[in-house]
Amino acid sequence: MNAQLILDNLPTLLWGAYPNGPLGGLALTLLLASLAGLGSALLGVAGGVALTMWQGWPKRLLAALVGFLRAIPVLMLIFWAYFLLPILFGVDIPEIATVVAALALIGGAYLAHGAAAGLAAVGRGQWQAGLSLGLSRWQTLRLIALPQALRMMLPSFVNQWVALIKDTSLAYIVGVSELTYVATQLNNRTLVYPTEVFLFVGLMYFLLCSSLQLAAAHWSRRLRVA
Amino acid sequence: MLSLPPIDWLAPKYLNWMLWGVLETLFLSLLVALAATVFGLLLAALRDSRRRVLSLAALAYQTVFRNTPLLVQLLFWYFGASSLLPAQAVEWLNTPRALTLAAGWTLPWPSFEFIAGLFGLSLYSASFIAEEIRAGIRGVPFGQRQAAAALGLSGWQAMRWVILPQALRIALPPLFGQYMNVVKNTSLTMAIGVVELSYTSRQIETETLKTFQAFGVATLFYIAIIVAIELVLQQLRQGRWAPVGVGRR
Repeated sequence: MNAQLILDNLPTLLWGAYPNGPLGGLALTLLLASLAGLGSALLGVAGGVALTMWQGWPKRLLAALVGFLRAIPVLMLIFWAYFLLPILFGVDIPEIATVVAALALIGGAYLAHGAAAGLAAVGRGQWQAGLSLGLSRWQTLRLIALPQALRMMLPSFVNQWVALIKDTSLAYIVGVSELTYVATQLNNRTLVYPTEVFLFVGLMYFLLCSSLQLAAAHWSRRLRVA
Repeated sequence: MLSLPPIDWLAPKYLNWMLWGVLETLFLSLLVALAATVFGLLLAALRDSRRRVLSLAALAYQTVFRNTPLLVQLLFWYFGASSLLPAQAVEWLNTPRALTLAAGWTLPWPSFEFIAGLFGLSLYSASFIAEEIRAGIRGVPFGQRQAAAALGLSGWQAMRWVILPQALRIALPPLFGQYMNVVKNTSLTMAIGVVELSYTSRQIETETLKTFQAFGVATLFYIAIIVAIELVLQQLRQGRWAPVGVGRR
């Protein structure tokens, strides 16, 4: 074991060249994960609501889109976003934005699927009760079904966010200098201590993912008490 | 009259490449699914073992492998193999050779990249598959266990003939979901140089600059594979693998 190599390169692994250059390493991983996590949560809830409230062809179209996004590898979507978004919009889009967009879309699709299932699991009786109280469909959704569904869906949100943290490592393939990219650069430069480098990086991701799970477990206990 | 610009299709040569990429993806996925299912069964058995050391070890394994990115795991096995394994073993793995089967058939030795990918993907997928199997086992009513015991079956016999057949039927849909994930996850092996579908599409994109066509064809292939797995699942559920208690007495 050679811890010296990790210690020498710790600043690069943790925050890249910042403040003298662009943000990188673990800090960039956190940034990517937070932005994509927020985006996927918004898209997921909106998508789940739309799948529940819409009818006819808009619903079928959205269901097909969600199915498509769930069927392709995250890597493929990152390629699509990375190479096609700039062509479609005719402007230079930073790599980080394309990766965040791809991760938010995939995460959103999985969460929308889960949110629709959660809203269905609330039960027909709750909807009928809301409607018979004179609430409109949207009021019933907002005041009765959604609060219950969101509480039920918390575990699946956390699972999806853990998957998302792990998937930020794919940004490496398009050259975004997050933690995995920095680690491979370091590995290519030194080539002698690959086990140490990737064990350290694995440990960083492990700490990120498990602290999110612990926080969520703590939070859901408090929700149940309230 | 409206005239559309001519679509610039990929040359046959590139479609041929793509086909080889699909085969590599399918072959790798199949081997990973097999290995991960066997190892997943073992992990599930360890998790539910009465010996605390074993169940804790299995839990630790799952926690580590599920909470770190697959890409980092693949890079670890690929680059780390040379320092983890003795030099002779690495050399042996890297030497090209062919496995001679009966009747003059030979199987070319897979590349080191392929072996590392297969190994890493199997270890990763097993930690998820074990959980689906455990959920299936928990889904079998306790009365079944008691009935098996009352018939005089030993613990292992009950597991083999009574519990597991029902548990696998319950776990079939989530298991197939995991197999779909395996197919999608094989795309990450392009990072360590396995020439599968994603690697091929990227290579064709670089060579022809036909971005839309290259990624389009690869995306369609992935969707076709996922749809095929779904169809197999539906087929199985209508036959011998029907959900417990449906159409079988």
